[in-house]
Amino acid sequence: MIGWLHPGLILILGAFLIPLFKGKWRQGYLLIPPIAALIDVILMYTGVFGDIPFSTWRLPFLEYELVFGRVDKLSFIFGLIFTIATIIATLYALHVKSSSEHMSQYIYVGSALGVVFAGDLITLYIFWEIMAIASTLIIWHGATDKAHRAGFRYIMWHIAGGIILLAGIVMYITTTGSITFNAIGWSSSSTYLPSLLIFIGFIINAAVPPLHAWLPDAYPEASVTGTIFLSIFTTKTAVYVLARGFEGYDVLIWLGALMVVYPIFYAVLENDLRRVLCYSLINQVGFMLVGIGIGTALSMNGAISHAFGNILFEGLLFLCVGSVLYRTGTCKCTELGGLYKTMPLTAAFCFVGAASISAFPFFTGFVTKSMVMDAASNAHMALLSVLLLLASAGVFHHAGIKVPYFAFFAEDAHLKARDPPINMLLAMGIAAISCIFIGVYPYSLYQILPYSVEFVPYTASHMIGQLQLLLFASLAFVVLIKTGLYPPEQRKINLDSDWPLRIAGAKLMWFFEGPLVNFATWVDNGLKRIAADFSAYGEEKEEKVFIGVSVMLALLFLAMYLIVQLAYGWIFAS
Amino acid sequence: MDIMLAVLAIFGFIAYVFLNFGAKLPRHRHGDLFLAIYGFCIVTTVAAGLFVPWHSVFRWQEVTAFYGIYGFAACVFLIYAAKGLRFWLPKEEDYYEKKGGMK
Repeated sequence: MIGWLHPGLILILGAFLIPLFKGKWRQGYLLIPPIAALIDVILMYTGVFGDIPFSTWRLPFLEYELVFGRVDKLSFIFGLIFTIATIIATLYALHVKSSSEHMSQYIYVGSALGVVFAGDLITLYIFWEIMAIASTLIIWHGATDKAHRAGFRYIMWHIAGGIILLAGIVMYITTTGSITFNAIGWSSSSTYLPSLLIFIGFIINAAVPPLHAWLPDAYPEASVTGTIFLSIFTTKTAVYVLARGFEGYDVLIWLGALMVVYPIFYAVLENDLRRVLCYSLINQVGFMLVGIGIGTALSMNGAISHAFGNILFEGLLFLCVGSVLYRTGTCKCTELGGLYKTMPLTAAFCFVGAASISAFPFFTGFVTKSMVMDAASNAHMALLSVLLLLASAGVFHHAGIKVPYFAFFAEDAHLKARDPPINMLLAMGIAAISCIFIGVYPYSLYQILPYSVEFVPYTASHMIGQLQLLLFASLAFVVLIKTGLYPPEQRKINLDSDWPLRIAGAKLMWFFEGPLVNFATWVDNGLKRIAADFSAYGEEKEEKVFIGVSVMLALLFLAMYLIVQLAYGWIFAS
Repeated sequence: MDIMLAVLAIFGFIAYVFLNFGAKLPRHRHGDLFLAIYGFCIVTTVAAGLFVPWHSVFRWQEVTAFYGIYGFAACVFLIYAAKGLRFWLPKEEDYYEKKGGMK
């Protein structure tokens, strides 16, 4: 061995071999790269590096040295859960025929691992961008017209975020003279603006409202299996980089508080169950951001363990709703109902996921989320504690009750369905068993957390308090359903913070495709008429759309150029 | 650890009752049995809350059944607030297609 093998490299190189295999051979091969990556991650912890906190593999880049592998407790735990989640998601996607979809998924995961193990800002940026592009390809594999358009909107958000991040990184490196990626923070006035730009780049990927609209917009448009991959990596890498760079920054507490409360209203309104889960995902990431913002050992442990647990139980819910979509062709509340008779195993797994996310005792969410909640009240933040409790009740309502109730119970929609194929059931089973295992034996997770854990989840007051909260919140739902006061689900979509952008974007496209193109054709025709006098120049018909898009791209590059110029000017001014 | 075992024992007891009686009861009464167990759980958690030592930071955490009342109120508030938002937010499913020229 060459000392240290990058687990992301295994997946990215493994991706390019997929087209070589066919049929059963491919299904067998598909599991090899993620399992190899998991073994690689586990070995780098126990044997190979032992107690050395920073093990590096270096590559000279300009005058800097890029660090592709930094293995400490923080990156290890993210690397571990990412590879475990890849195995589960790959198992779930084994039946998918398209090799290009599998390839983009592996490259996506590989680059997410690249971000996690990156020791410097340049490496981080490179993998960050590969991740953005690979995830867009996954969305496009949804292969519908809607997915195509949503993918374009998604990549625009991420290009914008990437440019801001790049500007921040360039300014940061020139100001500090170092490319190492450690705590960033806007402590001194000279690094204030660069840190702020890096921060904005990070929180766009963390989906902090109002910069979150790309998530519920694009994720549910991907294919059944693509959504699973998407729901796991982008937001969690953002949590990782925030935990690394901005630990203990107060602004994260309030951004997190906004994140936990804002989406719960949307989740109640939303009809599409995958969108409900997307809003739930934003809410869950909010808990992690609150933990990072408080910045005590307890809260950091809470944030990181919640990221770990969330990948399992949020993933499990996405797996279950994905199975419903796979078998019935829909995941809208208004069209589903009564599936517990035909899909009993999926329903059972969905219950485990629902209990875990709503933090029922003996399930994962309980042992991870209560750390964040305790950290908030230990810091004597009354308002924050009240908001987090409200959000907990909200999570229970939409992810704990709404998803299982409308999919598997409610009014029987008499849909023809049966449990999904064995590979999907196995994936759900593994996720469900992990959720229960961590819930019952939390020390398995606690011992790999970055800080030592003195927290005891199973105390009488924790359990009674949580059970009261959940039981009474469910009582409210039961009472409202039984009395007929519960507002019925509607076949509607909901406007979100991207509404002005989408309307303005449409107007802008109209301007490009209408008046601007007319003007251009007018000029063009004039020129052609002049040119025709000189030569026998044949007339070509231009596609209007292509002109519009190319004008837009030119403007985008102009904007990029301006931002880089601004950054450049700022550096010389300071 | 002992509290964990105690709650596990209660869960086990409920499961035992559910399986035992559920098998004897006719099918249409299963809902009633479920509601009875549900009510029993609610009463138990409130009653247990009176006796457990609360380690609390804020005074309001010590109010009897605070978490229960708050959970109920939060859920009702949430559902009705979302109902209020229906005035502005929901649009027809092809709203953006109609609005925009993005084809």
